[in-house]
Amino acid sequence: MFKRQGRRWIVLAVLTAVFVILLFQMGWWEAALRTIFSRDDVLYPTASLIALVGEHMKLVALSSGLTVLIGVPLGIWVTRRSGQSFLPIVTDLTSLGQTFPPVAVLALAVPLFGFGLVPTVIALFLYGLLPVVRNTVAGLASVSRETLEVAYGMGMGRLQALMLVELPLAVRVILAGVRISVIINVGTAMIGAVIGAGGLGSPIIAGLVQFNTAYVIEGALPAAVIAILLDRFLGNIEKSLAFSPGERNG
Amino acid sequence: MIRLENVTRLFDNVAAVDGFSLEVDQGEVCVLIGPSGCGKTTTLRLINRLVEPTSGTILVNGRDVSRTKAEVLRRSIGYAIQSVGLFPHMTVGANIGVVPGLLGWGKERISARVNELLELVGLEPRQYAPKYVSQLSGGEAQRVGVARALAADPPILLMDEPFGAVDPLTRQRLQVQFLRIQRKLKKTIILVTHDLDEAIRLADRIAVMQSGRLVQHDSPERILASPANKFVHDFVGVDRALKRLSRISVEEFIRPTPSVTTSATREELSAAIGGHRSVWVVDGDGRPIGWIDRASLRDPGQLNDITVRADPAEMYVTGSDTLHGALSRMLGLGFKSLPAVDDNGRLIGEITLGDIEKATARGENMDHV
Repeated sequence: MFKRQGRRWIVLAVLTAVFVILLFQMGWWEAALRTIFSRDDVLYPTASLIALVGEHMKLVALSSGLTVLIGVPLGIWVTRRSGQSFLPIVTDLTSLGQTFPPVAVLALAVPLFGFGLVPTVIALFLYGLLPVVRNTVAGLASVSRETLEVAYGMGMGRLQALMLVELPLAVRVILAGVRISVIINVGTAMIGAVIGAGGLGSPIIAGLVQFNTAYVIEGALPAAVIAILLDRFLGNIEKSLAFSPGERNG
Repeated sequence: MIRLENVTRLFDNVAAVDGFSLEVDQGEVCVLIGPSGCGKTTTLRLINRLVEPTSGTILVNGRDVSRTKAEVLRRSIGYAIQSVGLFPHMTVGANIGVVPGLLGWGKERISARVNELLELVGLEPRQYAPKYVSQLSGGEAQRVGVARALAADPPILLMDEPFGAVDPLTRQRLQVQFLRIQRKLKKTIILVTHDLDEAIRLADRIAVMQSGRLVQHDSPERILASPANKFVHDFVGVDRALKRLSRISVEEFIRPTPSVTTSATREELSAAIGGHRSVWVVDGDGRPIGWIDRASLRDPGQLNDITVRADPAEMYVTGSDTLHGALSRMLGLGFKSLPAVDDNGRLIGEITLGDIEKATARGENMDHV
């Protein structure tokens, strides 16, 4: 069963390595895009591709980290006795966070936090909060009453029951939420370019303004690949945490 | 050891347990029984404080349980429920090791204990410890449940239908094993069931409950022989004479019986059969293989040829069988007696239908005690 696991990680590592190497080969990009679009200015001139990807990843990492760091404890808290009465409010607010367009959040955040990284991260964080909180709540709710009763009946305290029983049983559902949130963030982080946070949104916006589809491709293609690689990465973590041997051999 | 004094527990102003008093002695198996909703599970959970009483006191070892921190109390009381209680994300070994872990035992001590317990419940440790719960059969899961309840060697065990979710055959095997383990460990056990046969087989004393109240608390024999009221009478049913037989072990009714081997001479055969209708035939190791009827004595053939052969596994009884089992086998085979064998399968005597009838009559007389 570890063989299969190992193979999954090796495939991912190879794909990632290929992607990173390609990012450095600006000449290849230029050549490829030139043949497709038959024009000369096919590469976004302001920053190299690897720098753009770096900025983009920074946005995603910061906002997703914040989402997990706050979303998971929030989800746990509203399922505890002390926070139970806040469950409806928190669900409503996180839903609002996602229905509220990130662009609008940006517009509102700029007067408060200025331009650049901070307002973008805040917008992305709010936008990605819902799946994490909702899946944390759902995952914890899926632990059966009997199982919990037994945990308490054996002499576990509330924290022990949470750490030893509830979270391990809920972890796959929680991770599925994180996965969704991160993937959404990779796409949504494009808007950071609007207020100068950089990232792969920059060539796209430049391309849209200048009617240069090549720029758009230069931004969109790596973002798509990043989304796929991250999805695989988190999927692998999810699978390696499977406790049921049936699924492990899957 | 365990004492409930006038305990009442209300749920939304309805009493689940109502003025309930019960005393369970050290080393005793007390079975709580009654129809569903009679409050037996609630009573069990009052003892380890999964439910708090509305009024009344519960004493364990003379100490009021409400004075002990719930977690600490629970770690000193084994708790087993139907197989759903095993944690699906842990291996069998980890499941058994939970309470020792909570008590802060070292890793090696825990794994030694896990092996010891798996052996006790008849599961090969090296094979079963790394398995996940989803890889176990129902019977295996329940054995693991029992092993887990025993993990920290608690003096008290609370068991809520521990053999509930398995087929009747497996259930019976688990019950036999339970009794064997209990004879060795002598725990104080309160077991909840709705299965009267299980109660009769396992209990030292049975507590019959009806809508939160204790109706009768007595030995299985007494409950069967003299039900306290119509409720208990109806609950134990009309076949209580038969049920009583499952309390009596075959052991004391085994009477010595002659036997012959197929190489015996005619004279030996005549001497062995004496005034009986038939004689058991055993192989060289003393294991029963069949019998010879008196009518066949006139047959001049070899002993081997006049022997009526039967499947030994189907006909013999052992000392740990109950009269109930022996009787049902007799009726099934149409025999008036069955050979009894020791642990090695060697003939040690026989048990007869007449003796079982006498035992039944003896029980009936208890009605008038």
